[in-house]
Amino acid sequence: MEEKRIGVYVCWCGTNIAAMVDVEKVASGLKELPDIVVSKDYKYMCSDPGQDMIIQDIKNHNLNRIVVAACSPRMHEITFRKALENAGLNPYMFEMANIREHDSWVHTNRAEATRKARDLIAGAVSKVKWHESLEKRSVPVNPATLIIGGGIAGISAALELANAGKQVYLIERKALLGGTVSALDLTSPFLNSARQMIDHKIKEVMDHRLIKVYLNSEVEQIFGYVGNFETTIRYNKRETRLNFGNVIVATGLKPFDASRVTNYGYGRLPNVITALEFEQVLKDGVILTRDGREPKNVAIIHCVGSRNEDYNPYCSRTCCMVALKFVNQLKSALPKATIIDIYSDMRSFGKGCEELYSDTSKKNVMFLTFDHKADLPQIRQASYDDPCNLIIEFKEKFSGEPIEVPADMVILMVGMEAHENAKQVAHGVGISMCGNRFFIERHPKLDPVATTTDGVYVVGTCQSPKDIPDSVSQARAAAARILATILAGSVSIEVTTAEVNEKICCGCQTCIKVCPYSAISYSQEKKVSAVNEIICKGCGTCGSTCPTGAIKSKHFTDIQILSQIEGLMSLQEVY
Amino acid sequence: MSQRVNLDLKKELFLYGAKEWNQCFQCGNCTATCHTTENGFFFPRKTVRQVLMGLKKSLQTNIDPWLCTYCGDCSRTCPRDANPAEMMMSIRRYLISVYDWTGISKLFYKSKTLEVTSIIVLSIIVMVLYLIYTTFPSGDSSQWIGPDGGALINKMAPWQTIHLGDWLMAGALVFLVITNIFYMWYKIIYDDKSLKVGFIDYLKPFSKLVKLINPDVKYAKCDEKKLTTYWVLHAFLALSYGTLFAIIVFFLDWFQTDTVYPFLHPQRILGYIATIGLTVGIIYFYTNRTLKNMENSKYSHFTDWTFLILLFFTTLTGILLHVFRIYGLPQLTYVTYMLHLMVLVPMLVIEVPFSKWSHMIYRPFALYFAHLKKMVIEKSKTIPHQPQYN
Repeated sequence: MEEKRIGVYVCWCGTNIAAMVDVEKVASGLKELPDIVVSKDYKYMCSDPGQDMIIQDIKNHNLNRIVVAACSPRMHEITFRKALENAGLNPYMFEMANIREHDSWVHTNRAEATRKARDLIAGAVSKVKWHESLEKRSVPVNPATLIIGGGIAGISAALELANAGKQVYLIERKALLGGTVSALDLTSPFLNSARQMIDHKIKEVMDHRLIKVYLNSEVEQIFGYVGNFETTIRYNKRETRLNFGNVIVATGLKPFDASRVTNYGYGRLPNVITALEFEQVLKDGVILTRDGREPKNVAIIHCVGSRNEDYNPYCSRTCCMVALKFVNQLKSALPKATIIDIYSDMRSFGKGCEELYSDTSKKNVMFLTFDHKADLPQIRQASYDDPCNLIIEFKEKFSGEPIEVPADMVILMVGMEAHENAKQVAHGVGISMCGNRFFIERHPKLDPVATTTDGVYVVGTCQSPKDIPDSVSQARAAAARILATILAGSVSIEVTTAEVNEKICCGCQTCIKVCPYSAISYSQEKKVSAVNEIICKGCGTCGSTCPTGAIKSKHFTDIQILSQIEGLMSLQEVY
Repeated sequence: MSQRVNLDLKKELFLYGAKEWNQCFQCGNCTATCHTTENGFFFPRKTVRQVLMGLKKSLQTNIDPWLCTYCGDCSRTCPRDANPAEMMMSIRRYLISVYDWTGISKLFYKSKTLEVTSIIVLSIIVMVLYLIYTTFPSGDSSQWIGPDGGALINKMAPWQTIHLGDWLMAGALVFLVITNIFYMWYKIIYDDKSLKVGFIDYLKPFSKLVKLINPDVKYAKCDEKKLTTYWVLHAFLALSYGTLFAIIVFFLDWFQTDTVYPFLHPQRILGYIATIGLTVGIIYFYTNRTLKNMENSKYSHFTDWTFLILLFFTTLTGILLHVFRIYGLPQLTYVTYMLHLMVLVPMLVIEVPFSKWSHMIYRPFALYFAHLKKMVIEKSKTIPHQPQYN
């Protein structure tokens, strides 16, 4: 075994550490411990002179292990590893003792804090003796991308990637591309035609030589890891194998089933229709009730299935503006009709939306409010002598008056829900869902399109209810992220992974059950577990579960941890 | 009992001078700024809501528009420029037509032509009656001039004749006004089944007589400081008007004399002060409505102008009549008196029961009913935290 030559560096961190820990005493006292060649203290170890000092010492004293006692490793571990690399030493021959967050910042007794610093460093010294050289690895990235879902988000991402010259596989469950947008007449708030917008994009996708579109097809399980995924898709009763480096999940939404709200009588009363059905009416060009008459009173009810604990607690974000769009379209199609908009709160955030609300409110439209939590309107068939087809009864929220609203047609602004097969998709691509069955992004603010699985991105309404611009932005952001990965050519992967000693492994498969990343598989041939080191994140769960000790977590081996504990306790008697 | 919403009610209110209030998003700013607001009494927000929703029954039994002093604070600070104050005025006009059981008021409010035609027809009738029942001062003018140099007005148009006409007209007006007020009571108090008003309750509001007589003290709390002038001149005008009205109906023999009294005689002094009140008031309100420099004069319905113009001509002919009489010009006196009556009679007949003038009667009664309602509700304590007026 090679000779251990350890250098210990104690940082002052200005006064952050030095005020509570006698750093000079700690540094000089450690010199007496075996294997320590150099022990120094310095004002700021992380500064350039501090790092230079370590590099010079490594060269001059031929050090092969380094311990820095300073802040949290989360702060500067990478800094010092780089310094080691610069000095020609393997970066994993390094250990950090946290004497700031774990010591000086949390203690008030200087003598005790000094003793604790010494113990922490002694632990680190004991551990670093057992460190081994680990080699960084990277895998090449397959430049193709699989996009699941051919709605506006999937299409936008596909075009972005394909126009950059990268292969795209676009999978659509239905027979046509376009998703929900292709079911719309006009878009809000600027009342542009949705069809013109989406048809153009669909054509572009279908004609693109780098986009391979699979209609009527579905994906089940995706195998592999970032840069190198593979899957089998079922398509026209055939199966095709695809290899790709990244995945974009853009499975879109499912409209809320309005018949669940029994108050509204959807499905029972023929003139109560959903927003999407009304879009179709608008596309057909003639607004007629089911019995073929022109409606004199049209009512729109907001928040159907949204913002109510019995259905969905969240706001679907788009319905208010769609309702205002309907109001405007109805106003121009049926100038004599009475339009009644029954809402709970008008949410008109975003570019052009408040303007649309403001303009609409000046038109002769009756805006009524209801309590979306307690008091949903009740729709009933009008009696024979009423001049209308339906009667909506509820307690108007602002006036507190119980009222009746006559209507010939009622449009229910149904909210967005996650797809019924969201769970299958999540399982298939290895991502997670929130309580409302929408896919979870890696960070809600700072990383809104990536997921905790590297190489898998979520865009559009499968992530949360959103409008077209938000879906498109997300899709293009994901495409940019993927292009950056492709451009780098390779992705570096974790080296501090788990490793199975096949000689000891008994094949109990306990590790497979506990692995949160599905990185472990069982080899039927050898009757042992095997870790896929590319998927493994080195969390150590399997290592601590393994009953035979066959699994070794690199950089956190049993001997390293036990030595650290031994080191921590070793100095008790000295002081 | 649910009421059915009705978008057409709003369209009907446009005829009464209403503007579009759909901008209103019920923020409640108007209620917060209003100095007439009391706890649990959503003024004027509640009324705006009733209009927007077209709750006809609630609106017809609503007393709030009569309590509004039109200081304009709500309109000035409305974040959506929905103009709640002018709405209150438009609803007053609407309510005048609701209380008028004959339905004539509604016709006048809706049609400018009809109102003007009625005024002209009435003028002609008055002229014809005047020419039949009076004598033109023909021949030697000295026969028509009294010993003190004044024209002998009672020789041409005896006060007894005019007085008879006055009484006939006043009788008709009183009948209309009383029946309308009865209808108002029916709508506001009687029809409200939640109220249990005993006979003794009707006397109770009189314990707050000062508040009843002088409701406009609330002006003092408003932000608009010009309102003090407004209120003083409005009161002066109303007093002058009322005084002259009382004189011609009850004391015409004392007022219409052939004798020219000295300048400081009570008859002349009273006449002059009232005339000043009318003139100053007319000029002030005319200027306000033209310059639109205050919230309450920004919007003028044509009935506002009709009333002002008729009042102006009545005052003008009245002044001329007085001048011609004391300077002994019998022919001019005769003609001016005719013109005076030709303006005065239509003004009273059209405006008192059917139009703007009626607010002089309805407003005090509305305040009385409001206090009555409040006291009854407080007594019953059925809804302790939310006393509601309607």
